[in-house]
Amino acid sequence: MASNGYFARLLRGYGRLTIFMIPIGIAINFVGGQIALLLKLPVYLDSIGTILVGATCGSLPGALVGLLSNAINSITSPQTFAYGILSVIFGLLAGWFGRMGWFRSFWLSLLSAIPFALVGGVLGALITIWVFGGLAGDGTGIVIGTLVALGMDLTTANFAAQMPMDILDKVPTVLIVYAIIRGIPKRLFVKLPLGYVYLGKPAPKLAPATAPATTEQQAGPRS
Amino acid sequence: MSTATLAEVAETYRHPESLGNFLRDRNPITLLVALVSLAVVAAAVPGLITPFAVCAVFVLLAFAGGVGPAYTATYLKLWAVVGFILFLLRALLLDGEHVYFTFGNLQVTAEGVYEGLRFAAVVMAICGAVTLFFALVTMRRLMLALEMRGVSPRASYVLLASFQSMTDLGATAKVVLDAQKARGIETEGGLITRAKAFFPVLAPVFLSAMTATEERAIALDARAFNSPAAHSHLVQLPRTATWEWLAAGLFAAVATACVMGRFLGWL
Repeated sequence: MASNGYFARLLRGYGRLTIFMIPIGIAINFVGGQIALLLKLPVYLDSIGTILVGATCGSLPGALVGLLSNAINSITSPQTFAYGILSVIFGLLAGWFGRMGWFRSFWLSLLSAIPFALVGGVLGALITIWVFGGLAGDGTGIVIGTLVALGMDLTTANFAAQMPMDILDKVPTVLIVYAIIRGIPKRLFVKLPLGYVYLGKPAPKLAPATAPATTEQQAGPRS
Repeated sequence: MSTATLAEVAETYRHPESLGNFLRDRNPITLLVALVSLAVVAAAVPGLITPFAVCAVFVLLAFAGGVGPAYTATYLKLWAVVGFILFLLRALLLDGEHVYFTFGNLQVTAEGVYEGLRFAAVVMAICGAVTLFFALVTMRRLMLALEMRGVSPRASYVLLASFQSMTDLGATAKVVLDAQKARGIETEGGLITRAKAFFPVLAPVFLSAMTATEERAIALDARAFNSPAAHSHLVQLPRTATWEWLAAGLFAAVATACVMGRFLGWL
C-alpha cells in the first residue's frame, strides 16, 4: 500500500472501522465539554471520547483520540497543550481496562474513575507545577491562588485543588461511557477491535503484522 | 493516448487555489516553521523586549495576512484571560526583595512583576504563534501540504473528519437538548437537576454517532478511499518557490542560534 505510510501501519490490526471511530471520539470529547458548559456544570467532561474509543477500540486509538483532541483544543487555548500527556494516558488506561472487561460491569466502570482521577489529579498538578510554576491561567489557577493567599503552600494547594475536581469530573465520564457501551448494538461490536470483550467471546487470534494488505482487507470489519 | 498523458493534459487546465493574499498563499509548512521560530526566539532571548516585540510582530503579520481585526480580537481576549491571570498570580504571589506594596497577605515585588510580565509574554508569544498559524492557514490546506510531503491520506481524513464531526455532533447535541427539554427534562435549576440532564442528552447523540461510522466507512470505500493507488486532489496548492524554503531555513537557523546562545551563555 504505497500511499499509506506510517499512520496506516500504526493502526494495522485495529480493523478498518477504528479509523472512523477516532474522529467521532474527538468530536465526543469536544461536544461533551460543550454541553457541560451549556448546562453550567462545574466539570470539564472532555475525555468521554478518549475513554470510549480506548474502551472499544484499544489503547492506541484511545491515546490518539486524546492526543489529537488536545492538539485541536490547543488551537484556541494553546496552554492546554502542556496537559496532552494526560489525555494520552487516559486513552492507554481505557484500552487496558476495556481489554480486562471493566466496562462490562457498572461497579468496575465506577471503580475505574479512581485511577483516571488519580492520573488527572496528580499528574495534572505536577504539570501545573513544572510547566507553569504551579500557577496556570485557568479556573483552577484562581482556586489555587486563593488557597495560597490563605496561607497554603503552592504544591499542597495544587494537589488540594486538582484532586477533588478530577474525581468530580471522572465519575460522570466513566458512567456515561458505561451507558454508551451498554447501548452499542451487537452488530457494531463485531466490527470493533475490543468488541469481543463486550460480546463475551474469546480474544481473536492476531494476524501477523507482516500479513499482506489483501488478507488484512479480507479479515477487515466487513467480514 | 495513455491514461498517464491524459491526466497530464487535464492537469494543465487546473490552477492552484489562491487565497488572494501573499502571506496566506505561502506553503503552510514554511509558514509554520517561520512562526514557530519566532516563538522560540521569544522564549530563548532573555528580557522583556523580545517576547513583547514578537507578540507585536504577530499582530502585524495578521494584518499583512488580511486577518488583522479578527486575529487581534482573539489575541487580546487570550491576553486578557490567560496572559493577565498568569501575570497577576506571579506578581501577587512570588516573593522578592523590592516590595512595591503589601496587600493583606500578598506582597507585590519588583521581582514578581518582572517574572510575571516575562512569563506571560513568553506564553503569549507561543500562543500567538499557534493562533496566528491557524488564522492564516485553513486545516484543509495544511493537510494537503502535509499529504504532498508524504503524510498518509488517512491521517488527513482523521483530522479533517474530526473538525466536521465536531460541528455536526455539536448541532445534533443542541437539537437533542431541545427535544429532551420539550419532553420535560429539566435543564435549568439546581446543580443535581442540570447534571441529571447530561445523560439523556449525550447518550443518544454519541450512540448515533458511533453507529453512523459504519455508513461512513462504506461511503468512503465506495469512493476508493482504501485504494492503494495515489490519491488525486480537488484542490491544488501553489508551487513552493525555493526562496520560501530558504527563508524558512533562515528563520529556523536564527531560532537555533538563539537557543544555543541561551545555553552557551552568549545572551
